[in-house]
Amino acid sequence: MRHLVVVFLILLLGTPSALAQTAGAAPTDPALIEKIRKSNAECLGCHTEAALKAPPREGMDLLKLKTLLVDPAAFERSNHAGMECKTCHGQTANEYPHREGLTAQVSPCGECHAQKSMRIEAQYDASIHAKHLKGKFTCQSCHDPHLYKVAAKLGAPSEIVRQDNAMCFDCHESDLKFATFGDALTPPKRRPDLDDIHEWLPNAKLHWGAVRCVECHTPVSPTKTLALSHEIVGKDKAEKNCVACHTRDTALKTRLYRHMVTEEREKLGFANSIILGDSYVIGATRNAYFDQFAVWSVLLTVAGVMGHGALRVFTAGIRRLLRKS
Amino acid sequence: MSERIYMLPFWLRAWHWVNAALILVLIVTGGSLHFAQPDLPLVPFALAARLHDIAGVALAALYGFFVIANIVSGNWWQYVPKPGGFIKRCLVQTRFYCWDIFWGRPHPYPPTLAANFNSLQQIIYWFIMYFFMPILLLTGLMFLVPEWAPQRVLGLDGLLPIAMAHTAVGLIITLFMIGHIYLGTTGLKVTSLFRMMITGWHEH
Ligand code: HEC
Ligand code: HEC
Ligand code: HEC
Ligand code: HEC
Ligand code: HEC
Ligand code: HEC
Ligand code: HEC
Ligand code: HEM
Repeated sequence: MRHLVVVFLILLLGTPSALAQTAGAAPTDPALIEKIRKSNAECLGCHTEAALKAPPREGMDLLKLKTLLVDPAAFERSNHAGMECKTCHGQTANEYPHREGLTAQVSPCGECHAQKSMRIEAQYDASIHAKHLKGKFTCQSCHDPHLYKVAAKLGAPSEIVRQDNAMCFDCHESDLKFATFGDALTPPKRRPDLDDIHEWLPNAKLHWGAVRCVECHTPVSPTKTLALSHEIVGKDKAEKNCVACHTRDTALKTRLYRHMVTEEREKLGFANSIILGDSYVIGATRNAYFDQFAVWSVLLTVAGVMGHGALRVFTAGIRRLLRKS
Repeated sequence: MSERIYMLPFWLRAWHWVNAALILVLIVTGGSLHFAQPDLPLVPFALAARLHDIAGVALAALYGFFVIANIVSGNWWQYVPKPGGFIKRCLVQTRFYCWDIFWGRPHPYPPTLAANFNSLQQIIYWFIMYFFMPILLLTGLMFLVPEWAPQRVLGLDGLLPIAMAHTAVGLIITLFMIGHIYLGTTGLKVTSLFRMMITGWHEH
């Protein structure tokens, strides 16, 4: 599969920068790995926390550099681990002082992910952000290509929730960041407080740690191969029905736990037992044996007292008859 | 005319009915939460969760009152099983419910001021009020404030054992309530015992 992707990339990409790195992500050839490591070390010689403390050269705009740092360890955990920085940033990005508009010239996602991007873009264009903030809002507003890792590869739902919600929190929890986009609107929009908006959701904070914003703020993915729709919806279409998740046939298994549902799902009689590794979800993770026991014990108790009562009425009647005769 | 004695002080009767009302609300809303189903909502989930939280906290506060009032008034002594043929008294009481009651025979241990409960009531009420209720309240409060619950247990979410214990004890108390309400009809007349719980006067 990876080879296919690579071949596809090479065929597809017209840009010389991408062609220069023939092996795409995570190459296996040691010589190539060493070459990429060396190349990336150049950028990381300036664009890291460590470099900021001991700048490799004088006369750099350190205040600006401080806002342009990359975490090499996080990069190596991301989807794009093993890629050369220059593949996206251009072959001359290492030259300092940098040429003008380095950020603007970076390869867009669609350049390498043509097929997925085409489908995603159609959904994304219908989202609140794209409609209201056209031009300003981009894929990178949510996806930091140096950090992001696709859900199916992250595996642990708690990690997925943390990563994907961090995207939204980045703006929706920060007045400053929100304003850089909200100010472009007419009239300018101030950040509404998330807890106020979701005041109807008990334990909102608990939910933020256990489900993603996109669970409720996107419709079901119309494309089977995509994990979720990119159409972020506002209050008129967002999911407000608790029982969408809090029931045996929970939406969580087609969303957050989608990539895990192939595993055993009914361990020890627990419905959706895979969820129990991360969360106890009322209504969704209930136990079939316990439920049957509960229903039967209540029914039998009710039947028992009704039988007892009926027998009392019956014997009282007989006693009355006996007394009369 | 039957005899009457004034047995139950006002605070005990007031506690009893508020307690009963809260528990009924908790049973109905708890059941709605646990068996949540899109096509069959007994109480809608969001409303059930809110009512259950409010009634649960109220019940916890009421339990605090119950414990303190029982200590202050000395009423706690009623719940303590007394030695000297306790098991035998339980058996006699059981035989009464299973047999004698159908023959119209009198209660073997009618309530007195000194001993309000028969032995079977003593042991069952003791377990319900001083064993199961604290478990129910503690697990309920942990459900309400999940930070108090263990993070993880045996590689699973720590709320699982809390929720299981809460639901299981909820079931026990539900079964108790069914039996308890029914046994309320076994007084001199069907309504006698209910009237006693309202007026405080026992007829026998
Ligand atoms: C010698 C230090 C140094 C090296 C090496 C370096 N940079 Fe930079 N880079 C900076 C500084 C300082 C800035 C801050 C803006 C400026 O002064 O141009 C910056 C800015 C940037 C920007 C933002 C440009 C903008 O206009 O906002 C990008 C993107 C960037 N660098 C990428 C890279 C990449 C990719 C590499 C490696 C191929 C690299 N840099 C190598 C020091 C360096
Ligand atoms: C998959 C493509 C890709 C790779 C690989 C990549 N980058 Fe980037 N990088 C981008 C994009 C896209 C942006 C623009 C982000 C934005 O618009 O905010 C960016 C922005 C930056 C910036 C500016 C920071 C900012 O927040 O605007 C720096 C610095 C940078 N990259 C450094 C690096 C370094 C160093 C590496 C290698 C370790 C690297 N990049 C690898 C795509 C990539
Ligand atoms: C220069 C080419 C290039 C650019 C530009 C690029 N990527 Fe990638 N991306 C790759 C490669 C190569 C892989 C690794 C493919 C693999 O491992 O199968 C990858 C992997 C991914 C994956 C994981 C794919 C999967 O299904 O496992 C995602 C998601 C992804 N990129 C998102 C993005 C986003 C979002 C952007 C824009 C911010 C972007 N990429 C820009 C080349 C690129
Ligand atoms: C509002 C934030 C947001 C924006 C804007 C956004 N994405 Fe995403 N994207 C997400 C989230 C959340 C996920 C789900 C994470 C996952 O499944 O890995 C995701 C997943 C993806 C995936 C992996 C999907 C899969 O099923 O493998 C790709 C590829 C991707 N996005 C590309 C893009 C592209 C291209 C754009 C721009 C057209 C874009 N995204 C814009 C938030 C966003
Ligand atoms: C880069 C900043 C940014 C990111 C990241 C971001 N948002 Fe937004 N979002 C905004 C801004 C600004 C608005 C205001 C748009 C408007 O009201 O016209 C907005 C509006 C919204 C709205 C509609 C609010 C309304 O009043 O109509 C929803 C819903 C929303 N965002 C959800 C999300 C979700 C879910 C994510 C994560 C997947 C996310 N956003 C990520 C900046 C961001
Ligand atoms: C349980 C489902 C659910 C989750 C999870 C959720 N939301 Fe919402 N959200 C809603 C609903 C429903 C509304 C509309 C509320 C209303 O009617 O006032 C809403 C409203 C909003 C709004 C205002 C939308 C508007 O049109 O005014 C924003 C912004 C928003 N949510 C962002 C987020 C972010 C960011 C997250 C993740 C931290 C998140 N939401 C998680 C269901 C959810
Ligand atoms: C997107 C799915 C989703 C929706 C919609 C949702 N919840 Fe939840 N809820 C969860 C998950 C997952 C947890 C587990 C949190 C944890 O890990 O403890 C949870 C936990 C809870 C809890 C804490 C008890 C427990 O099960 O751990 C309550 C109470 C709750 N939800 C009530 C509600 C109410 C009321 C609504 C509707 C207004 C609602 N939820 C809507 C997913 C959802
Ligand atoms: C007779 C009394 C009670 C019964 C029958 C009962 C029953 C239940 C049931 C069945 C659930 C759903 C659990 C699940 O499906 O896993 C539940 C949840 C819950 N219970 Fe109770 N419960 C009772 C009393 C209490 C009390 C006293 C408290 C608080 C101190 C409490 C707090 C909670 C909380 C916080 C939840 C989680 C849902 C929510 O926040 O509303 N419960 N209960």
